[in-house]
Amino acid sequence: MSDLFDIVTSATLYAAAIRLALPIFLAALGETFAERAGLVNVGLEGMMLMGAFGAVLGSDVTGSALAGVAIGLLFAVLVAAIQGFVSINFGGDQIVCGIALNIGALGVTAFLVRAIWEGGNAPQVAGFSAFDLPLLANAPFVGVAVFQQGIFVYVALVLALISWWALMKTGWGLRMRGCGEDPLACESLGIPVKRLRWQAMLICGACAGLGGVFLALGQLLTFSDGMSGGRGFIALAVVIIARWSPMLAVPSALLFGAVEAFALRVQSSDLNVPPELMLALPYLATIIVYAIVVGRSNPPAALGRTYVRQ
Amino acid sequence: MTIERFIPALTRGAVALIGTLAVGLVAVLAAGLDPVTTLQAIIDGALGSPYAIRQSLTEAVPVTLTALGVAVAFRAGLFNLGGDGQIYIGALGAVGISLLFPDLTPALLIPFALGVGMLGGLIWGGIAGVLRAKLRLSEIITTIMLNFIAFWIVSYLVHGPLKDPGGSGYPLTREIPEAAQLPVFGDLIPSGAVLMLVAAFCVWLLLERTPTGIKIKGTGSSASASHFAGVSMSRVTILVMAIAGALAGLGGAVSLQGDQYKLGDFFSPGWGFDAVAVALIGRGTAAGTLITGIAVGALRSGIQSAQGTAEVPSSIAQILLAAAVLFVIVGNAEGAGQLVRRSWARTRELASE
Repeated sequence: MSDLFDIVTSATLYAAAIRLALPIFLAALGETFAERAGLVNVGLEGMMLMGAFGAVLGSDVTGSALAGVAIGLLFAVLVAAIQGFVSINFGGDQIVCGIALNIGALGVTAFLVRAIWEGGNAPQVAGFSAFDLPLLANAPFVGVAVFQQGIFVYVALVLALISWWALMKTGWGLRMRGCGEDPLACESLGIPVKRLRWQAMLICGACAGLGGVFLALGQLLTFSDGMSGGRGFIALAVVIIARWSPMLAVPSALLFGAVEAFALRVQSSDLNVPPELMLALPYLATIIVYAIVVGRSNPPAALGRTYVRQ
Repeated sequence: MTIERFIPALTRGAVALIGTLAVGLVAVLAAGLDPVTTLQAIIDGALGSPYAIRQSLTEAVPVTLTALGVAVAFRAGLFNLGGDGQIYIGALGAVGISLLFPDLTPALLIPFALGVGMLGGLIWGGIAGVLRAKLRLSEIITTIMLNFIAFWIVSYLVHGPLKDPGGSGYPLTREIPEAAQLPVFGDLIPSGAVLMLVAAFCVWLLLERTPTGIKIKGTGSSASASHFAGVSMSRVTILVMAIAGALAGLGGAVSLQGDQYKLGDFFSPGWGFDAVAVALIGRGTAAGTLITGIAVGALRSGIQSAQGTAEVPSSIAQILLAAAVLFVIVGNAEGAGQLVRRSWARTRELASE
């Protein structure tokens, strides 16, 4: 029992929680834009996977982690563009399209890994490492927990603030949210629904892609098949739990980061718990938290409905 | 009149087929393979001999059974992405019964193990159905989570309590007794293939010839209309997810008892997602799903046995499936439909001038 107490009170647990929450948060942030504009994007998982793959490819070919970020974002945005064409321009079923993109991303990345790298395994690549934030890093507890992270954590926080401001406090954000409530009414007011939805979809792809990029260049420093591990779907739940708010997505994602961090720590502790069952914990927690919160959620009215200008 | 009604459907099908083949060609060329010999090797590997046909059918069975379940859920407007989890739980039920009662006669043990596998899948799918019906949780999210939970439960069991103590150290259960193994008819037709045909017929019967089928399809096409007609949405939701789970569970049990004989970490190579694509390409009908499922089984089996002649990456199957689904949605989409109708009308005008 004292072991368990040690785990829960250690600062490194919270540092790991933040790190593990990050990809989920970024994907959820992107999805918040898409869903606020009325688009359900089930393809998050595929976008993360393509982002992670592109990041490793870019970093390996150029030797620069920054180039990896650029290629990863590009790959994820390409997936978002397919989703955009099918669901916005053609009015195809958004959910079915997202499912197809997830399957396609699994196939394409597995295919390319074997086609590009000798032996069919992605190499270790240059990534981003954590650094100490001056002064704050030495603070007791929170220094280790919060201020010894990589650059991505601070980027994500800034993105959360900008997103909240853009979506909730600007005319652009109001119009975008309008597209998710009543696209026909927006169209009759002269608001370019199609263009705004495209913007939301591309932002979504970039954010989810960045989540994948971090997974690759901030954590594993390589690519493995299906490495997004359902995080895109956990992010879908986070959006609902956070009630489609960019700011509430921060604590919601942190909750799942904390569960995953806890599970990992218990695994490597002396506590006699089967590691496989601990690995199932984040997914079980997703269902439980989702079940507790969902009754009070209120999705955008036109979410997921096909809208084609007549 | 009738020809005009059919031509758009035919063009859609043709466009989807040509588009998918084009994607396949690009992938084969990107892998540095010769398209003609590759196609030859895949077709040979899938259909070239009685053994190849048997392998293709064996490969088709779990995907098709799972896809039939996905199709039933799809017709009710639900997405069962939980095929893999249901397959694992189904196989777990079947391996449990087979190892617990090795002394039963085949006539008893085979249906018993298959039945418990089906029941396991039914429960696993049913959970997502209940969560959707009672708590309004999206089945898209819950079925994915249940996949991971099922996978890790099975992984725990095959690494620990169920691991074969006499095995070579791999995380696998003991092999099931012969009494639990499914027969192959005439060295050609695996009994799973017969079950697959029966299941497809039952799904057709359910959807097209029963009042329940009308309720299922009604819920899928207009939830509010069905609600006002007195159909219990939550009952239909739980029912279709349970049916979907049961069919996937059966798929897992059949693969265990008819093909793999042992349960391990990598029991399903992704049949659950393949099945979603298969059901969508088959447009949620029993016949369409059956035909697509058999084709996918043959493709996967062909790619596998082509490994000797041409190194065809197995991920090509996934790429082709994803491309096919995308072409099918675009073909069915309202916006694309408008485009096709307009150009069709224009062609007719030109012709009549």
